[in-house]
Amino acid sequence: MKQIVAILRVDAMNRTKAALVQAGVAGFFARKVLGRGKGRVDFRVAYAAEAGRDEAIAHLKDDGPMLLPKRLVHVVVPDEKVQLAVSAIIEANRTGQPGDGRIFVLPVTDTVRIRTGERAEAALRED
Amino acid sequence: MAMIQTVVRPERVHAVMKALLDAGFPAVTKMDVFGRGKQRGLKVGEITYDELPKEMLMLVVDDADKDLVIETIIKSARTGARGAYGDGKIFVLPVEASYTVSSGTLDGAK
Repeated sequence: MKQIVAILRVDAMNRTKAALVQAGVAGFFARKVLGRGKGRVDFRVAYAAEAGRDEAIAHLKDDGPMLLPKRLVHVVVPDEKVQLAVSAIIEANRTGQPGDGRIFVLPVTDTVRIRTGERAEAALRED
Repeated sequence: MAMIQTVVRPERVHAVMKALLDAGFPAVTKMDVFGRGKQRGLKVGEITYDELPKEMLMLVVDDADKDLVIETIIKSARTGARGAYGDGKIFVLPVEASYTVSSGTLDGAK
């Protein structure tokens, strides 16, 4: 089993949910987070420079690029569905622009369905 | 690669993120969380507060940078001269693969 942790655009959630259902992994949970990436360009600096606000730029430089609202999506899938789910998420979220997000795959050692007490792969079966 | 999840005091988040930025790790995800530690929360008179507000930072780094990141977080998140209860925790999880969505590529497999 693997846990897929994806940091995605807020406005891509509907597409992502549909894509996950298509891929046969309907169950997931998501939460609102703030984040930033490699952040080579802070658009606030670009805007301030355009407006000639040098004092604003001096003030901004200290903290680095601002944090943007994102969705953090967790999906736990059996090993054989990892590639399918990852491609589905990429397909649904890819615009080619910076900020599309990242996907991480982490190992999971056990899963329990609380309602039935089923363990491991049985706890992940969706049928 | 390793995923670093750290729970820190809300008032230290700014310092931790600044320290990480200066150390060369700008990419970070921040979320509000609530929790307690082994002290079972804070007891003030009759009342126990065991859902204390904290901030969780999540970042994924190369294995080679892991110790530097941990060191950076410890230095910036610790309060007082010798640290205090409630300063937080750092968890390190293995990451088997990482994809950049905008290019659709695998950044590095284990």
